[in-house]
Amino acid sequence: MSIERNVDLMKWSGPKRPYDLVKEFVIALVVVTVLVGACAAIFSSPDERAITLQDWAKKAPADFVATTNGELAGTTISASYGPPYNSAGEGLQIGPLKIQKWAGVTTPVNPATDFVINPLQLSTDLSIPASLQMWKAASLEEQTTWANNYASAIGKAGDYSKVVPDNSFGPVPSITSGLLAMAQGGQLDGILTTAVSPFPSDFTMPMLFIADGTYFDDLGAAQHLHGDQWGMMNETGSYPGQSWLWLFSSMYQFEPFKSSENADPQIFAVLMLLTLGFIFLPKIPLINRLPRLIPFHRLIWRRYYRENNL
Amino acid sequence: MLLSAISLNGPAKYLNWGAISLSIPNLIMIALIVLLFVLALAIPFPTHKGK
Repeated sequence: MSIERNVDLMKWSGPKRPYDLVKEFVIALVVVTVLVGACAAIFSSPDERAITLQDWAKKAPADFVATTNGELAGTTISASYGPPYNSAGEGLQIGPLKIQKWAGVTTPVNPATDFVINPLQLSTDLSIPASLQMWKAASLEEQTTWANNYASAIGKAGDYSKVVPDNSFGPVPSITSGLLAMAQGGQLDGILTTAVSPFPSDFTMPMLFIADGTYFDDLGAAQHLHGDQWGMMNETGSYPGQSWLWLFSSMYQFEPFKSSENADPQIFAVLMLLTLGFIFLPKIPLINRLPRLIPFHRLIWRRYYRENNL
Repeated sequence: MLLSAISLNGPAKYLNWGAISLSIPNLIMIALIVLLFVLALAIPFPTHKGK
């Protein structure tokens, strides 16, 4: 260690040569600019149309209704996620470290109220106010029972449209159908994108809602964008993706991360440990001797070693 | 609006080996990166006259 320190402090007595760093920088900048411009002109960029709640409601109404009912029953991912959206779960954690719980509920989301009940108050459907009144007047137990009964009926029938009306569902069919109509008409997109801020720039609500269904998930799977499909490396269409994320992406393919619900923070932690390994590489025994065992640098600097008989 | 000469918005093809799944566009990019790396090693630095 002391030898290395001395080498760092020693004045270089070997051969020197001029090197125009500015010239190299300008050449690299020009070459990269021309390449980027040419590639953009020839290949353009990924142009995947944004998926809206209206698309979802029109193309997969059964999934929309089932998901809306799931929000009312409190059985969806966002309803049971925990921090930062609610206190229904533990949130992501690394072993005993409940990292999301530490940060707390910073973006409060009550899926039943925010995705379903509140938007429906703006519905022009004349049957909705009575349904909403019935829902709000009921106890949490009654609400859950109605939604669970409707979920079972949908499960048995295979589709909400084949479910035979029954009083055991309470106002749930009216509520879900009312929201479906609002979504198909496009109003729900406007309401949910302005739920957090007055400008339609915060997509937290519509993103959480659409991610609770299977429609969005299936679209991602079709484009190979799921974590277990090396999706972190992939791009939509036939564009090359982020191949440099191969190490991150590879970890999602193998156990224990593949089936872990906390794969994201766990893999992040492993990568941070590996990054620390890179930072302290010169101090790690054996690893810091690898250049002596595998003298790859001699290939890169072969002329220097040849000319100086090293 | 200018249209790009080559549209890449169609679905990509994927190569699968066990747990590994790699898109052809990514494979091409990785091959180009490796090629550039090999060229950087093989092509000598320009001679510096002022040496």
